Amino acid sequence: MKTLCRLLAVVALLILPPLPVAAQNAAPEKVYNAERFTLKNGMEVVVIPNHRAPVVTHMLWYKVGAADEPRGLSGMAHYLEHLLFKGTPTLPPGEYSRRIRALGGDDNAFTANDYTAFFESIAVEHLETVMKMQADRMMNTSPPPADFTAEQKVVLEERRQRTENDPKGFFAEQLKALLFINHPYGIPVIGWEHEVAALAWPEIESFYKRHYGPNNAILVVSGDITAAQLKPLAERYYGPLKPIALPGRVWTKVPPMIALPQLTLHHPDIRQPLFMRIYRAPSLPQSRAEGRALSLLTEILNGSAATRLYKSIVVEKKLATSVGFDYDGIKISDGAIWISASPADGVSLETLEAAIDEELRKLIRDGVTDQELAEAKIRMQDSAAFARDSLSGPAMTVGQVLAVGLTLDDAEYWPRDIESVTRDQVQAAAKTYLDPDDIGQRPYISGYLLPEKTAAASAEPAIANTPEQP
Amino acid sequence: MTSPILTLPFIALLLLPSAASAGETLTAPAKPFLAIEEVKSPGGLTAWLVEDHTLPIVSLTFLFNDAGSARDPRDRQGLARMVSNTLDEGAGDLDSQAFQKALSDHSISLSFSASRDDLAGSLKTLTRHQDKAFDLLRLALTQPRFDAEAIERMRAANISRIRSSMTEPEWIAARLLNDLSYGDHPYALNSGGTITSLNAITRDDLAGFVKNNLSRDRLLIGVTGDITPGKLAITLDQVFSTLPAASTAQTLTDAGIGHLGQTYLYKKDIPQSIIQMVQPGLDFKDPDYYAAYVMNHILGASGFGSRLTEEIREKRGLTYGIYSSIFDMDHAHGFTIGLSTENKNAAEALRLIRAEIRKMQDHPVSAQELADAQSYIVGALPLSFSSTAAISANVLGLRQDNWPMDYYDHFPSRIRAVTAADIQRVAKRILTPDNMLTVIVGQPEGVDAETLPPALPNVE
Repeated sequence: MKTLCRLLAVVALLILPPLPVAAQNAAPEKVYNAERFTLKNGMEVVVIPNHRAPVVTHMLWYKVGAADEPRGLSGMAHYLEHLLFKGTPTLPPGEYSRRIRALGGDDNAFTANDYTAFFESIAVEHLETVMKMQADRMMNTSPPPADFTAEQKVVLEERRQRTENDPKGFFAEQLKALLFINHPYGIPVIGWEHEVAALAWPEIESFYKRHYGPNNAILVVSGDITAAQLKPLAERYYGPLKPIALPGRVWTKVPPMIALPQLTLHHPDIRQPLFMRIYRAPSLPQSRAEGRALSLLTEILNGSAATRLYKSIVVEKKLATSVGFDYDGIKISDGAIWISASPADGVSLETLEAAIDEELRKLIRDGVTDQELAEAKIRMQDSAAFARDSLSGPAMTVGQVLAVGLTLDDAEYWPRDIESVTRDQVQAAAKTYLDPDDIGQRPYISGYLLPEKTAAASAEPAIANTPEQP
Repeated sequence: MTSPILTLPFIALLLLPSAASAGETLTAPAKPFLAIEEVKSPGGLTAWLVEDHTLPIVSLTFLFNDAGSARDPRDRQGLARMVSNTLDEGAGDLDSQAFQKALSDHSISLSFSASRDDLAGSLKTLTRHQDKAFDLLRLALTQPRFDAEAIERMRAANISRIRSSMTEPEWIAARLLNDLSYGDHPYALNSGGTITSLNAITRDDLAGFVKNNLSRDRLLIGVTGDITPGKLAITLDQVFSTLPAASTAQTLTDAGIGHLGQTYLYKKDIPQSIIQMVQPGLDFKDPDYYAAYVMNHILGASGFGSRLTEEIREKRGLTYGIYSSIFDMDHAHGFTIGLSTENKNAAEALRLIRAEIRKMQDHPVSAQELADAQSYIVGALPLSFSSTAAISANVLGLRQDNWPMDYYDHFPSRIRAVTAADIQRVAKRILTPDNMLTVIVGQPEGVDAETLPPALPNVE
């Protein structure tokens, strides 16, 4: 079955590009060979040529997301994204997607904490039609009341399907809310149910007028086109749009905290216990050096079934059936590191957590080896060729990088930048952000998801490996 | 897949349609849509190749026909899947960790998967590591170790996956629908295994499955990327020639779809009802296939623009997503619809679905709807050939479904030849809105349904 439409991007993984292992003294090779220009009204445009087929992906990124929502109006950015499909004075509701489909194109959109993006993949000869309609809905969206109300129900159904239907989704939402106290990333992108249900068009419209304009947008087009070909089209359709007065973005911060929170949920539907932990860590825009070190650390710990965490926790110690470690650094404000693991039968979450902590202590104490570092760099650099093997993947990566305030060079020269990371930097990043014994007023949250507390469900004994009670 | 790594709930990878392939175009009729070439090895193996030197990447995909989970014995459900999980967990002199390290050190992606009908594999490598990649594939297929450690680890991962899925209402609905649809046919079994059957699977079962099923006569291969026909011909023999020449395929009867006209409820304390419906469809070699394809597109396959989405999501806000699809496996075909909706709206959603199906039977689609559907289906074709691996998988798909090499060259004209009358005829012929099997998970209001017991079939 196809992916449900109007995606909600909570976190999009960056495809880490990388260069073919080039001679050290050669000029660094670019990953995408993108071209760029800026329109007079301030709209940024990036073109990533790829002439393998006569098709393009057109992505329009707005530098507004859930993090910009006024207090009490959560879910507004995402609901607005849905409403951009609900018509303008010259385009009836639903007509946008209908026309794209009739031209043989696919379209969709997604909202994240920091940005909102709309995209179409289509034959290059229809690009102009796409741009004309996108320019219209950037400024003129006005959903009829009946469509506004119907779409509100759709968004609430989306929330039920993603969150309320499954305790794992519900639990993760709560975990994040606790980590990002007093920070907009603690509020789910889809919004709290009671707030989404109360949203009205006038307040959404004022949010729309404040944030949607050419000088708050980045256009990324990848595929069978060059900057020279795109520029006249961009000037014709996006050029006449008037820039808006940008409000600036406000970031409240997580205050220093001293206690380590732990969240536990016993739920009747849970049959497989799950351990999760989230740390706050610097994003790449906040600290490129630390962000790169954390990206490399992620590859070293979790790059394959032959790297540290899986090898130690799953293969050797047999405490878990799976383990995950992910760094989300493509954010404007704080990044995050997620660890998760499913315990093996009869292993308590306490035992599993202790073993993961032991791995982290070892990492902080001894660092990584030269060999681990070199192998991880090669894997990341090899993925450059794979990153190019896609029409829309490069537009996604470059758009995301620019939308959070990184530069085009950060995307183009990522392999060179990764090459420069040292063992000491990796160890220091681990010590600063992952140390289970020194939280430095920067607490992480551990979550235990467990079956209902009954005599029968004593598969998670308080003491590790206690046999199950009859 | 080997070594499942847990996917975090918040880390959603965005899957984007992407496009691009070697020299394909819809606008130059003289040139084939896909330049497929049949490559024959000196040893007699054949593969379909799309040669494309744009990027230094080679993608080799293959499958063994009739080697899927439909062959799992009832007390060994999940066997084909366990084979697919353990083939890359050590082979030849390399134990699991050494094998996985050899893959990752050379940036090679190798995965196996089992469907009901086939056991399939996919290899993707940079050109400079292709010989290493082909050799690791050869080892995995011909000298899998099935070490106890790897078997136990994969067994545990599968049992954990089943337990984890039990919180997911869509998974529960799919399990029930499958069980009720196929009754005593092997398709009704749980291809992911049950907790009991997974625990029963032995090393001999795995080795026996490989010996009895992975043979050259059942092998189909599709290749795309930076490799010449000459190199591929040699490679085919290197990788596959030591497999047995032939093995005994099983004779499976065709499966009907049972419990038609009945609605079943699995009670679950969640705010939405998950609804899945199925009925027989048609063989994809049927002359009405293209009419059914366009009919399904207009009814529910396309999301926005399709009638089910317009009526149930766009006009009334009753769901976040509703889709219909047609499928054709080796021994069963069908038409399905799936959606989730708030419990209080379940009866209304079911009524609307049936009304839309009847409308498709009672009235011809409009000229505009038909033209829009045809231009989408034809125009969007290149978007499914966006990467080396996607092209390779599509080429293998042609072989799997026994389509001719020039299938995609004729596809547009066949889609464009479908008329509104064809669509109405095929809708009348196939669709039975009052005689579908329906499974609901949740607490639907106002729906007359037979309540199913809390113990799920073939899960424990």
